[in-house]
Amino acid sequence: MAPSKSDSDNPPFVISRDYDAPPRLLFKAFAERQHIMKWFGPVGWPVTMCEMDFRTGGRWRMAMTGPSGVQNTPFGGTYLEMPDRKIVFDNGFEVPGAGRMVMTVTFEPLDANRTRLVFSTQFGSAEMRAEHLGMGFEQGLGSGLEQLDDLVRSLAV
Amino acid sequence: MQTAQLDRVFGALADPTRRAILARLTAGEASVTDLVAPFRLSQPTISKHLKVLEGAGLVSRGRDAQFRPVRLEGAALAPAAQWLGDYAKFWGESFDRLDAYVQDLKRKERRHGAVKKRQR
Repeated sequence: MAPSKSDSDNPPFVISRDYDAPPRLLFKAFAERQHIMKWFGPVGWPVTMCEMDFRTGGRWRMAMTGPSGVQNTPFGGTYLEMPDRKIVFDNGFEVPGAGRMVMTVTFEPLDANRTRLVFSTQFGSAEMRAEHLGMGFEQGLGSGLEQLDDLVRSLAV
Repeated sequence: MQTAQLDRVFGALADPTRRAILARLTAGEASVTDLVAPFRLSQPTISKHLKVLEGAGLVSRGRDAQFRPVRLEGAALAPAAQWLGDYAKFWGESFDRLDAYVQDLKRKERRHGAVKKRQR
């Protein structure tokens, strides 16, 4: 499967975090429905619908409910790859013409009980971004698109 | 938020030459000739990149018929910056919650392991 353009053309957005837990546990937190529902999404937006068929080629679907009490548009996709310590899946909102992005999570052991999680997003289309915007979160940069970050900062619009 | 506009901005930013042109323009407006010099690219190539940037609203061209100086339109970046900020925040908060959650899982496993050992 070749879900998107080359990396140099379409730089991924990367977030990295170190955890005080073994890779096995973090993998489990992503791979099992009862676990992912407990942490996925920002505070105040609980996951209120979650279906997952965790195997290569299997589908997943989720929806969150915001402070207004109305369930947001569901999103989801297909698990593309899941070797040890890595999960690749695509994601898009369930609206006609919505763009898709490919997300890769890797769990790299730092020592016996510590893990570096690297989460990268390859954007297929910016339509996704607009959908997320609709959720009304506020500013808070932490982007892996360094060049864009630098540019934005230097402009300080 | 107009999706198509955001698409054009991110599309325009996806190319390293175009990002370099924008970075150069933060120092002030420039003619196409000024922009061709540092890039070792042909003028038509630079012009093509400028058209993409213009289409995304990231640059504008002056009226002067001969030089048509290229100017940065920084405000066009704001929606893209906002989107990235929202996205980073979404995942940043999720990963904070994941941290608390795996600590919980760890404790539960430890307790469970201890019970199993005692039962043996």
